[in-house]
Amino acid sequence: MKEKLDLLPGSLDLLVLHTLSSMGPMHGYGIARRIEQVGGDRLILNQGTIYAALVRLLQSKWIEAEWGTSENNRKARYYSITASGRRQLADETESWQRMADVVQRVLKAAE
Amino acid sequence: MGSNLYRLFGRIRAIFAGRQFDADLEEEMGHHLQELAEDNIKSGMAPDEAWTRARVSLGNAAQIKELHREVRGIPWFEQWISDLRYAFRLFRKDRAFTTVALVILAVGVGLNTTVFSLVNTVLLRPLPFAQADRLVWITNGQPTDNTLSGITSQVDTWERLQKESRTLDRIEAYNPFSVLQTFRLTGTGDPQTILAIGVSHGLFGLLGMKPKYGRFFLPEDALKNAPLRVVLSHPLWVRRFGADPGIVGRTVQINGAATEVVGVMPPADAFSSVFFPAVEVDLYTAVQNDIIRPEGNALYLIGHMKPGATQKQIEADLPLAIDEIRKTQPWINAYGQPLHNWVLGSLKKPLLFLWTSAAFVLAIVGFNLGGLLLARGRTRRREMALRVALGASRARIMSQLLTECLGLVMAGSMLGSFVAWGFIHYLSVRTAVQIPLLQYLKLDSAALGYTVILCLITAVVCGAAPAWRFSGGRQMGNPLSEVARGASSGPSLSRSRSVLVILEVALAFSLAVSATLMVMSLQNLLKVDLGFQPSNLIAVRVDPGDQDSQSNYLEAMLDRVRALPGVERAGVTDCIPVERDRGWYLFPVIPGKPDGERGQGAHVRIVSSGLIGAMGTPILAGRDFTRGDEKASPKVVINQSLARKMWPDEDAIGRQVNIPEIGGEKGTVFTVIGVVGNVRSSGPEMPAGNEFYLTMNQYPWAVSWDLMVRTKLPVAALTAGLRQTLAPLDPTLPLTKARSMQTIVDRTLSSRRLLVFLVGGFAAIAITLALIGLYGVISYSVSQQTREIGIRMALGASSGIVQRQIVYRTVVLALIGLVLGLTGTLLGGQLLRSMLYGVSSNDAAVYVEATLTLFVCSIGAGYLPARRASRIDPAMALRAE
Repeated sequence: MKEKLDLLPGSLDLLVLHTLSSMGPMHGYGIARRIEQVGGDRLILNQGTIYAALVRLLQSKWIEAEWGTSENNRKARYYSITASGRRQLADETESWQRMADVVQRVLKAAE
Repeated sequence: MGSNLYRLFGRIRAIFAGRQFDADLEEEMGHHLQELAEDNIKSGMAPDEAWTRARVSLGNAAQIKELHREVRGIPWFEQWISDLRYAFRLFRKDRAFTTVALVILAVGVGLNTTVFSLVNTVLLRPLPFAQADRLVWITNGQPTDNTLSGITSQVDTWERLQKESRTLDRIEAYNPFSVLQTFRLTGTGDPQTILAIGVSHGLFGLLGMKPKYGRFFLPEDALKNAPLRVVLSHPLWVRRFGADPGIVGRTVQINGAATEVVGVMPPADAFSSVFFPAVEVDLYTAVQNDIIRPEGNALYLIGHMKPGATQKQIEADLPLAIDEIRKTQPWINAYGQPLHNWVLGSLKKPLLFLWTSAAFVLAIVGFNLGGLLLARGRTRRREMALRVALGASRARIMSQLLTECLGLVMAGSMLGSFVAWGFIHYLSVRTAVQIPLLQYLKLDSAALGYTVILCLITAVVCGAAPAWRFSGGRQMGNPLSEVARGASSGPSLSRSRSVLVILEVALAFSLAVSATLMVMSLQNLLKVDLGFQPSNLIAVRVDPGDQDSQSNYLEAMLDRVRALPGVERAGVTDCIPVERDRGWYLFPVIPGKPDGERGQGAHVRIVSSGLIGAMGTPILAGRDFTRGDEKASPKVVINQSLARKMWPDEDAIGRQVNIPEIGGEKGTVFTVIGVVGNVRSSGPEMPAGNEFYLTMNQYPWAVSWDLMVRTKLPVAALTAGLRQTLAPLDPTLPLTKARSMQTIVDRTLSSRRLLVFLVGGFAAIAITLALIGLYGVISYSVSQQTREIGIRMALGASSGIVQRQIVYRTVVLALIGLVLGLTGTLLGGQLLRSMLYGVSSNDAAVYVEATLTLFVCSIGAGYLPARRASRIDPAMALRAE
């Protein structure tokens, strides 16, 4: 598996929610860096797309945003997950896994 | 609330807070880059490379922002708004075009909204009564029988129906004859003549009306010998009693008697605006059955259907219910029809016709605007071609062009609704127009909704053609280079404009024909010989009140009036033709033959001597009444129609008739002393019927009389003179109800006049627009062919030839339109037919006239550009562009 993977549609939202849920409030760059760290070099993340994901999650009230100061003493916008965001994360995680299971099972059966 | 809903609100908010979102994003991206670059430097990159890599990782800033905007907002809506803005800028630059477009749109939409309001208020909406669809109109005669005495019912019929009907659970009544009966209101303020309508005590309750103050009538008000109690109309209450709520329970002086006011009508009097349009009702009284009973047919009945009853059942049930009466009086009957039919049936066709005409005007407006947009689009082909070349899809360009058009039409429609507001106001205060519910006309939500729909349809009609034409990049060849070269216009472009213009001419032609026919009908009606001379004739209502001898009083009055300077002739009648309508039966007395064989119904008027002459009705044989015609020898004057029917080919003078209405069982025998000309008793549209006259010396029972004065004095001057000369005779005589006979006649034509006025206006607008369209398309094609014409003239074509060819092209377009319009009008003439008087819907002369007029006008429209073309200087034309 040398080639990098493009993210499946919709999966970025799930990754962002997960990151905020496990790491606490973060700014955009922090979230992008975290996803890239975990995904390692197997993932192509067009970092700018994270902001579209963030505004989508904000409008659904799954996350909240607040201006604050970063560890480098810069003005940054911090995002944190809301209660309904956690519920959404749980739902999405479950359906993501079910989908992955089903796909895997079908692929195995075909072998 | 679901997250989807949150998201939607978020998107909508984002549309308005776009700037804030962009600023936040900008700042976040800046922060992102900086942190990323620093991290890169920390991991050992050179600063330059660190920044470059950071930018690559973040991605294209413009794309990020675009994606952000798409995600957070509603892209198509924002696109639409920005298209609208663009359109606005374009239209603002092209002032002349925009002004013309907005004006024609405002007129077209304004007219249509007005006409729709009229149709909706009068025809489409249920009548403003409770359970209006369950109300039944009951007449004694066939509903087509048009004498009032023939179609009204007697009290016995009413009472019997109430008891026996199995399909109606309630029947109420009013007395239409009472509209002609006035009273003298004295006491506070000047004496005044007031008009009272008698209604059954439960009528207003049945119609679901509520008094503003006090109450309507109770059963005890309708009992025999109950004291007269009145309900004041709202206008009278305001005008005469200063809108004082305390008037309820007080008494007013009516015909000299103290009369209790029990209530005040609401400001919107649904009853009078439906049943007495253009009549100013001052007060209502309760119908007392036992007083009306001997008057025969005197009531209009309104019934309420039982649950589950059908129209068919009612038609079968009503005659059965009065079976007992029909056994002895077989001419009595009861017909039921939906109330809505009765009140508005006759307006259905005129209003549909008006609606169609208005729609034609709007179609012409749409086509005209479409033509203007096409011409304008031509100059924008380069812009469109450029867009297509840069990758805009056809759908994108079409949607932009449609949006432009919609923006224009929306602005025009908004102006149009102001126009409509003005028109509607104008119509709603036409209190002299006999159209029911006209006062209820207003610019309501239904009308505005209709405007919105019109707006969308118009936008599609006038925007579709240009949008389609200019969005297809390929069909245009290569506009970028074509326009640059300045070649002649594409043939298909002027073809689409030509089609629009042909349609405009066709519609304008059919409106012109309709309007001409309507105007001719009105002129024919105005020329109709009414049998009396309405000009220079003034009617003044006089109510003798409690005078002991009405005829002595009236004769004394006449003596004084005839002595007034300026008065040519004067007389008194209880029944003005056109305004009043009452009929009796009479039989010729022929020895040896039983009565009833040649019995005739006829209008009856009770008159003073000299009245017939004052009216201007010719005396054909015998003589008028004289003051000496006393009761002892009953005399009658009949009209020509009655004379011919009773004694065909014989002299009627000296013959005898029996009038059962007078003198109980055996009736009274009258001797014919005169035969006079026929009078059109129901106005110019109805043919004259039988009539006879009795003298007031013999039968002075009428409650209200009209003094008919032939004079050249204006109404006000005459009234002032009368007041002076009559004061000694009767100091409290009101003389407030004076009107010229011409206005009475005009009122019967008022709705037709309004219709003619509207349709005539529509036709004028239509023709103007069609000619503008024709001029536009020809003058445009001339401007596009400047080079061509220049070349031809350089090769020797004379200016005359060039002119002729251009005029010829105009004429061809006009002719195709005229033929199309001619065919359409001949086929659709059905709707017109019922509204015409004395002219056929396919009157050849009218068609020829309209064709010639439009033809000549269209030559004019073509001549202007043709003259311009013939002055083209070949050298200039070839060098142009």
